[in-house]
Amino acid sequence: MFYLSIFFQYAAQYLKTRMTYRGDLVVEIFSDLLFQAVNLIFILVVFGHTALLAGWSREEIIFIYGFFLVPYAIFSAFFNIWDFNDRYIVKGEMDRVLTRPIHSLFQIIIERMELESLFGVITGLAIMFYAGSQLGLELSWYDPFVFILMVIGGAFIYAGIFICLASISFWSDSKTDIMPMMYNIGNYGRYPVDIYNNVIRFVLTWILPFAFVGVYPAAFFLGRTEWYTYAFLTPVMGVVFLSIAYFLWNAGVKRYRGAGN
Amino acid sequence: MANLSMYGEMIRIRFLMMLAYRTNYYSGILIYSINIGAYYFLWQAIYGSQETLGGLSVMQMTTYVAIAWMARAFYFNNIDREIAQEIQEGKVAIEMIRPYHYLAVKTMQGLGEGLFRLLFFSVPGMFIIWLAFPIDFSNSLNVWALFFISIIFSFIVNTQINLITGILTFFLLYNTGLIRAKRVVIDLFSGLLLPISFYPIWAQDIMMFLPFQAISYIPSMIFTEGFTGAEVYSALGIQLFWALFLIIPIQFLWVIAKKQLIIQGG
Amino acid sequence: MNVIEVNKLRKEFKSYSSRSGLKGAFRDLFTRNYKVLRAVDDISLQIKEGEMVGYIGENGAGKSTTIKMLTGILTPTAGEVRVNGMDPHREREKFVRTIGVVFGQRSQLWWDIAVQESFRLLKKVYKVSDEDYNTHMKEVIETLEIEPLLDKPVRKLSLGQRMRCELAAALIHNPPLLFLDEPTIGLDVLVKMKIRAFLKEINKKYKTTILLTTHDLADIEALCDRVVLLDEGKIIYDGRLDELQKNWVEGKQVHFEFQELVEVSSLEELSKDFDVKWRPGERKNQWVATVEGDDDAVSRLMSQVMLKHAISDVKINQVSTEEIIRNIYEEGIIHG
Repeated sequence: MFYLSIFFQYAAQYLKTRMTYRGDLVVEIFSDLLFQAVNLIFILVVFGHTALLAGWSREEIIFIYGFFLVPYAIFSAFFNIWDFNDRYIVKGEMDRVLTRPIHSLFQIIIERMELESLFGVITGLAIMFYAGSQLGLELSWYDPFVFILMVIGGAFIYAGIFICLASISFWSDSKTDIMPMMYNIGNYGRYPVDIYNNVIRFVLTWILPFAFVGVYPAAFFLGRTEWYTYAFLTPVMGVVFLSIAYFLWNAGVKRYRGAGN
Repeated sequence: MANLSMYGEMIRIRFLMMLAYRTNYYSGILIYSINIGAYYFLWQAIYGSQETLGGLSVMQMTTYVAIAWMARAFYFNNIDREIAQEIQEGKVAIEMIRPYHYLAVKTMQGLGEGLFRLLFFSVPGMFIIWLAFPIDFSNSLNVWALFFISIIFSFIVNTQINLITGILTFFLLYNTGLIRAKRVVIDLFSGLLLPISFYPIWAQDIMMFLPFQAISYIPSMIFTEGFTGAEVYSALGIQLFWALFLIIPIQFLWVIAKKQLIIQGG
Repeated sequence: MNVIEVNKLRKEFKSYSSRSGLKGAFRDLFTRNYKVLRAVDDISLQIKEGEMVGYIGENGAGKSTTIKMLTGILTPTAGEVRVNGMDPHREREKFVRTIGVVFGQRSQLWWDIAVQESFRLLKKVYKVSDEDYNTHMKEVIETLEIEPLLDKPVRKLSLGQRMRCELAAALIHNPPLLFLDEPTIGLDVLVKMKIRAFLKEINKKYKTTILLTTHDLADIEALCDRVVLLDEGKIIYDGRLDELQKNWVEGKQVHFEFQELVEVSSLEELSKDFDVKWRPGERKNQWVATVEGDDDAVSRLMSQVMLKHAISDVKINQVSTEEIIRNIYEEGIIHG
């Protein structure tokens, strides 16, 4: 309850601040849309040259992409920690965070949230409904519930991976560019994993399980029964990865060295 | 001459700085390899049973993907974000009173970073990729020479675009949105994700008038011998044109920015 | 009751050294040299409720590291810490509710929003009730004279204004223990005096315990009865400030400024009957004599010197705390 009320306090402040820099807010929402369009263009251009991608049609791939956008939007709204090392470790802001009576990870989440990214949920849903109607998919009563479960699972996986990467900063004093590059790797989970060889498929399933934020859960809604096992593993993987990240973070905070004084 | 050695020193320092971050180094190689690997399989699937698409064979396409990512290691830099940060923290005013040209310094730092990645990233990375995937390296010395000229232009054009984005922070205050948008546009329109020849004709026509293809498409096509003969030279001509042309907006924005800096005091 | 209870506290950092040159940097990719640096070396310390303690030392002596262990930011390598009866790092979230922290070089407030919005957010974070906030904070705001600043965003405040707001922000939950790390850095004299007066007042009123690090010894002289001196991670003095003054030097300093060049040998020759040390002053032709003994000795020395050499200025000083401390660090020993 306390954390929830703190969250709303911060959210209210966030909106106030954001409104003072409206220009950048507009550009940012626009750049989000652009980013989403770029990936869609990629799919469209590719399917201008082929009818099927390893047995999956254009609309199916677009549907997977639409699904991916929803957990991804939630992730980017609340786990904007790709510059954690620079912002909190190198500049010493972590010192301040650790003198406040709230869990340090939660503080960073609420300090760095970017609520405008949530627009991606709408784009994603729109794309899913478009592709779904093209494919003639039908909506069952339980689909929305499964969808919410899958989305939470997917967002947790993304969050887990990026929190783990952020935690590395507690051990290694040097800066890394891994985080921005990791965004690229996240994209590969949006294509049917059977196109990749075993090594990459294994990585995308168990090491950096981005396939659970795209093709696996989407396969459930597309009625691809051969992937159902993986689809239902999505929430499990989400919880597992977020827990790992949480423990790694707590272990990291113990190792925190402070900013150079 | 003293100036030249000062800038040389800046390249060297940045080079050493990059070398100091070893987690960065190892993770970088790993991530570039995963990227190239994933795209390799994606393109295999896209080609399916077809021989050629957009004028490129599967083999050429694989080479294209590999070389495009490796060239990116050289021309890519974050100086737009660095400039934006230095402006927001008010450090640029201090840089102005130093005896050098701020933008030249940023460019040199980018070059140091690029050279580092080229030598320690791209070369060993290419070797690993060459072992893992069937890639067609040209055995013509001419092609290699032209490719190297071409990626130097890639670096110049990409850096110029970064400088423009960075300087715009003077006028926008907060600039994260624009920087992100620029990155997305470059990835798509430069030919890194998709060769320009894959786009519908009307889109190709538009892109002809944009500087982005000078960044990735042209060097990659030269390397894969997608361009031959006179095509190569006209492509290099396009790169030269943009490298010169983009000086105009940079100079223009910089002069206004300096004025603004004097008035606002940073 | 001891508010702070520290026993053989130690903190070690691993630091990597990089080899020089390109070849060295390349080798660093594979193996790196490191050494263990002991920033805080087995210190023990007790601070009682209501004390105001000055914690001083040169840069890198381990001040900040100690403060960070006491506030729960860093975990100790070895030793025990109990602050307000808790283990700061292990019970961090509960513990930090009972302390206030001000880092002079780092802002607690939100840059873009008005000061009172920051206060409101912190009030929620520290779960302060409306009543407590109204009665307590009203006083704080009045004493610090920040009422007119409350609706301005932090980025528009001057350093002095911001510092006063920082101090108020650290006191929102009326903590019984306050850590101040360089609270007066870069401030002008008037603001410094205002802050000192305020700290004295809350110490008197709420019996707030205050631990203070600073480079400005005037802060310590104005506020602290007790000082803790730190050098290379070890406590080299812990006691009353006036004791330090008394034990270190009994004598006085006489600054002579001569009209012409004077050799030190001639001065030593003149003063060979006195217990005196000469050192060159900061200005041209200036010499400083540190005289041990009573006032009579001082006046006799002065007349001896002035008979022989024409002077343009002369001053008699008590040895300043700053000088005492400088001497301690330079010579590394404690008299008496």
